[in-house]
Amino acid sequence: MQHKATRPSRPVEVLHRAWLLFFFFFRIGFFTFGGGWSIIAQMTREFVEKRKWLTNEELMDMVSVAQSLPGIMIINCSVQFGYALGGVFCAFAAALGIALPSFIVLVVVTFCYNELSQNIYVARALVGVRAAVVPIIVSATLRLRKAALVDKLSWALAIFALCICLFTNLSRIVVIIIGGIAGLLILNIMAKKKDKEEEA
Amino acid sequence: MIYLRLFFSFIKIGFSSFGGLSLVPVINQEMMTNGWMTSQEVQDIIAIAEMTPGSLGINCATFAGMRVAGLAGGAAATLGVMMPSLTLCLIAAIFVEKFRKSRTMEDILHSVRPICLGMIAATALTLMQTNFLPSGIFCWQALVIAVIAGVVLMKFKANIPIVVLLSAGLGLLLVR
Repeated sequence: MQHKATRPSRPVEVLHRAWLLFFFFFRIGFFTFGGGWSIIAQMTREFVEKRKWLTNEELMDMVSVAQSLPGIMIINCSVQFGYALGGVFCAFAAALGIALPSFIVLVVVTFCYNELSQNIYVARALVGVRAAVVPIIVSATLRLRKAALVDKLSWALAIFALCICLFTNLSRIVVIIIGGIAGLLILNIMAKKKDKEEEA
Repeated sequence: MIYLRLFFSFIKIGFSSFGGLSLVPVINQEMMTNGWMTSQEVQDIIAIAEMTPGSLGINCATFAGMRVAGLAGGAAATLGVMMPSLTLCLIAAIFVEKFRKSRTMEDILHSVRPICLGMIAATALTLMQTNFLPSGIFCWQALVIAVIAGVVLMKFKANIPIVVLLSAGLGLLLVR
């Protein structure tokens, strides 16, 4: 699979793309409630559907890698994304873009924490915001479904991961590693079987 | 030098965090051993991180850093917690791109993608429970807001910031 957007080579182009990524992440950074998953929904819209810079599969792979490594998931995502679209400089720009809104908001909140945490209107608005996070994440899941669920094996793995996450406290990285190895083995066995059938 | 100590402390926290609340115990430990915060203040961070946009990790780092050493402390802690992404994850990105076309890599990604999707779906389900059934009581307002937000989002293709603001407004109107 080829990246739809070629990586810019001239310094001016790199700067331009870095600014674009920084600003995109900075803008959506203020609205990522619920641990950052809504960013994935936002990224599919802007970069897969509108700009067609990358495919759903590529985005999904970035999320997978971001989840399998230590660190903060959305920062990991933005670093991968920035790198894919513009190299190391853009990776830093994207990470800075996503971190800055949190930083700014927290600076403000820290100064008036007591007032905000006691405020009934803030609490009411937050019930609304948290409720909205659910459909936002559901929409991200639906958008990425086609890229991830391509055969019976992938359905089985998805349901397996869903159940493990819901009913056990197993760390996500363990789930990814176990699932990845299991998938690799099954795919290998299937490929060998196919070879044998073709021989016979 | 307090800034450096904060920075390194949060590098440690960053490298031991694997999504969501998994970094809370590490933060707790780091803050206590350094005498930077009380256990009550760590609880406060989590409450704050819940009500502000952005990831728990960044929010915790900023808040803790600022409490300990002001604005510069917040910046040092935030940079520290971002370090795993800026090093390990960047290397992984380069690696994945290099080996993307290899058969093994394709097979691995082929099986990891659905696992990730399952995890996202699990997050949505868990959030449904915490938001619609907070402490076991059904909150109809939250469900109504979620349905409206879902329709606006998926049917009318509204932008997420608009959906978030609309839901905040609905929360102000409906929740008592």
